[in-house]
Amino acid sequence: MAADSPLKGLIPDLDYDKEMQRWANMFKVLSEPEPQIGHTPRNEIWRKNKSVLWHYPAKQKKYEIPLFFVYSLFNKPYILDIAPKTSVIEGLTNMGYEVYLLDWGSPGYEDKKMGIDTYIEKYLRTAVKRAIRHSGAEEITLIGYCLGGTIASIYASIAEEPIKNLIVATVPIDFQPFMGPDKWAEGLREGDIDFERFIDTYGIIPPKLVEGMFRAIGAPIYFTNYTNLLHRAHDSKYVDKWRRMNKWTLDQVPFAGEAYRQLASDLFKENKLIKGEIMVGNKQVDLRNIKANLFVVSGSRDNLILEEQSKPLMDLASSKDKSYITVEAGHVSLALTGLFAKIVHQWASSRSNPL
Amino acid sequence: MSDKKNYDPYESLNKFSLVWEKQINDFIFLITNNKDFVKMSDRGTDLHSRYLETFKKNQEALASVLNLPTKNDVTNVANLTLQAEEKMETLEEQIWDLQDSVKSQNKEIESVVEVSKEIIKLTKQLKTELVKTKKELADTKGLHAELQELKFELLKLNDFKQEFETIKELIKEEKSSEPVLTGTASGN
Repeated sequence: MAADSPLKGLIPDLDYDKEMQRWANMFKVLSEPEPQIGHTPRNEIWRKNKSVLWHYPAKQKKYEIPLFFVYSLFNKPYILDIAPKTSVIEGLTNMGYEVYLLDWGSPGYEDKKMGIDTYIEKYLRTAVKRAIRHSGAEEITLIGYCLGGTIASIYASIAEEPIKNLIVATVPIDFQPFMGPDKWAEGLREGDIDFERFIDTYGIIPPKLVEGMFRAIGAPIYFTNYTNLLHRAHDSKYVDKWRRMNKWTLDQVPFAGEAYRQLASDLFKENKLIKGEIMVGNKQVDLRNIKANLFVVSGSRDNLILEEQSKPLMDLASSKDKSYITVEAGHVSLALTGLFAKIVHQWASSRSNPL
Repeated sequence: MSDKKNYDPYESLNKFSLVWEKQINDFIFLITNNKDFVKMSDRGTDLHSRYLETFKKNQEALASVLNLPTKNDVTNVANLTLQAEEKMETLEEQIWDLQDSVKSQNKEIESVVEVSKEIIKLTKQLKTELVKTKKELADTKGLHAELQELKFELLKLNDFKQEFETIKELIKEEKSSEPVLTGTASGN
């Protein structure tokens, strides 16, 4: 008849294995080198200035028409190849698609005069031509993610190259709805705040300021990612996923000044894209000229791009074959979980000339 | 704190930090989401830009005196490289166009060569047939001449036959008239 300790209920039972694993993982996060990103085999086909066109060969080619990823000018594109088994590109190459990715690179001070129109005319157009020539196909599928979707849509409306399909995910077309503080959007549109002098002085927006911009719109104080890590550090898989996501989020690239000016003034302030007032070279960009098969993907839990921003593309495009779906995913989780590969395959398999 | 599941001290920390973060951010937005703050940021950004511009100008001036390269100098050099790269790319595309046109011309030439090969074959065939036909024609002519001769001979024979028939008739007539003369002589 042993007497119960009076302190029995006071000191909680800890799962010591779990705690040991937790702190072992935390120590690893602090001391180990960063995880290896970009494991899917690829070869460089073309390089211009800082941009590189990568070719990811299919494991076993099953579709004739290749996929061409147009990534955003913010962040680096390795989110599409973030981890084995959850990589979007790996998934697509395993399913038999030839994948091309245009990595815009990190602009330097000499690129301060590069606008979105320059990116499209001199980089994207040439890259698409090269990809078509390299693959030996007659047509190509463009896939745009976020701002890359905007760029892909603009290009698709003025392209002379044979674009059969256009897939855009979480794409901002209508810049009127805004997720951030509304008074700021109002201030920018009414001219209360103006970034012209700022852009002229800096030339290119440094990466830390780009990160600051995203934080200012979303969450100025952000430490819950660390508490989340601490909470689930016993799960090694979660820790690996967290490290990769964290690395990508903090890995911002500088943003060319002229492109930023066009983004802030033409796209955001005056919403010229849906009005059809943007000029690329000597061509007027009219989204009604998009004849390619269209597939628009929206995330229901997207906290950066609202669904209302993507929907107008469905009304404007003149494609005969257009579809719109909403997926239970956030802005980045589409690519992070590899869900995007399955969504693309579902739609593109019948439209990519299976061999 | 039940005995059934073990205590996770960080779960509550996580929950609290989520709530704290949201509260702090909401508070920040409350303070900053107004026109006055926006206008103030505009002034602040403008001031910062002006200061930075002046600083840069002075730095350029100083760098030229101290003979130090600045960002602008590096940019100029980089731009030269970019120009050269663009020119090479244009040249590469032109070479590709030439290659493509040469390939298509080669294909055309090949098809023309094939067609002309067939024409030569046909011509040869026609030639042999012509020689054959000429030979046959010569044979036919010879046969025709012989036939003509035969016809002539036949005609001659026919004439001869007719003459012979006439002579036969004449002889018959003479034979029939002779016995009348003989009958009369014996009666005396």
